Amino acid sequence: MDNLSYIAFICLTVSFGFMLPLMEKKTRRIMSFMLVGIFSCLFISELNGILLRHFNNDTFFVTTTITPITEEIIKMLPILYYAIVISDDRNELTTNAYAVGVGFAVLENIVILTQNIENVTILWALARGFGAGLVHGICTVSVGFGISYVKKRRKLFYCGTFSLLFTSIIYHAIFNTLVQSKYQYLGILLPIVTYVPIVLLMRNRMPKRITAKTEKE
Amino acid sequence: MYLALSIALTVCAAFGFNYGLFRFFRGKAALYIRMIVFAIGCTMLGRLFEALQFLVNGQLSGSFHVGMLGIIGCFMFLFSANFGQMDSIVDDGSKQFLKTRIIALAAPIVVAAMWIGLVVSKGFSASTVALGVEAIFIAQAAYYHLKHLIIKDVDYGLIKSIRSYNLVALIYAFLCMAEMLVKSFNLPAVCIIIVYVLQCIVLLAFVPVLERGVKKWTT
Repeated sequence: MDNLSYIAFICLTVSFGFMLPLMEKKTRRIMSFMLVGIFSCLFISELNGILLRHFNNDTFFVTTTITPITEEIIKMLPILYYAIVISDDRNELTTNAYAVGVGFAVLENIVILTQNIENVTILWALARGFGAGLVHGICTVSVGFGISYVKKRRKLFYCGTFSLLFTSIIYHAIFNTLVQSKYQYLGILLPIVTYVPIVLLMRNRMPKRITAKTEKE
Repeated sequence: MYLALSIALTVCAAFGFNYGLFRFFRGKAALYIRMIVFAIGCTMLGRLFEALQFLVNGQLSGSFHVGMLGIIGCFMFLFSANFGQMDSIVDDGSKQFLKTRIIALAAPIVVAAMWIGLVVSKGFSASTVALGVEAIFIAQAAYYHLKHLIIKDVDYGLIKSIRSYNLVALIYAFLCMAEMLVKSFNLPAVCIIIVYVLQCIVLLAFVPVLERGVKKWTT
């Protein structure tokens, strides 16, 4: 059988790819970033395989120390490119960042599903959906927030982005540590507990943003 | 012992972070203050990771572990807040502040001296290099904390009111370096406990001291 990661990648990207020309501009941008996230996951799966072999297949060490670093850096790069070359609008960047994170989580979940097909349950699906899906989204959004300063305030961009990147890496590593321990349920709770306050904070600010935009127009 | 100490640090940092969120994220607040709250949040995550590693694995892995990024991220946030936000307001780059800039170099020099002392006695290894990277970020933040502690206040008492915060941050920088040394030299448990307890006190005091200072900005 061919590599299942590539099979899943082709199945997803081809169908999403054909949808792109039919979409409205904003939706197309978000969907494109989801595809970028899916591609990042494929790239990382190869890289992580090499790293795992390098560290004598010590899965716990690699997944709690190495992969959070590589995954967060790779997910950050398309957002950084978009901010420098196209637009550093904070709303666009955070949406794009979340799309990259979700795209990444989609392929990652499919790959893990295919690797553990005998043992997966509905509970597993809920844990992966609530856990990994949210973790990748939250981590990429926080880095995207820092990147939004790329053109406005360079002094803040350089240090702020790296600080947020480090924060995301630790958060990701904490999640990976928890889900491999006997405290798995805490691993599932962690992203939900983080996600809810962020959404409430964003929703509180959203009406103000929309009003300000309307007044400007 | 390290598990209990890491949990204590996590709890204290969590208190500081949540207090900061409660006080400065509900309404309008300067980005400078929010970055300092994020710094405490980053420390909290780093310490939580260390506590989890002790709990799950029984030890921290190798010479480098992700928890170290908590300290680095914290000092990058503090550095970013001072360098990116505050410094351009309090220092216009004129010769008037040259003496202050030179004196402030004492803080990174002390940090560097502590690390060099470590390398001299322990030798050059992956562990000392990793701690050296951590020391670089502590040193650059310490420079601005000392500078803002001693700089002459010429604009609206902005920096004068947060001097006590800069002192607390500077103490925290030296405590992180002290932690590095007591761990590396395997000093008696009492030294490690003292350093960790002092860190707990500083983490608890960080945001309240900052809040007391920034209140004077608006009054």
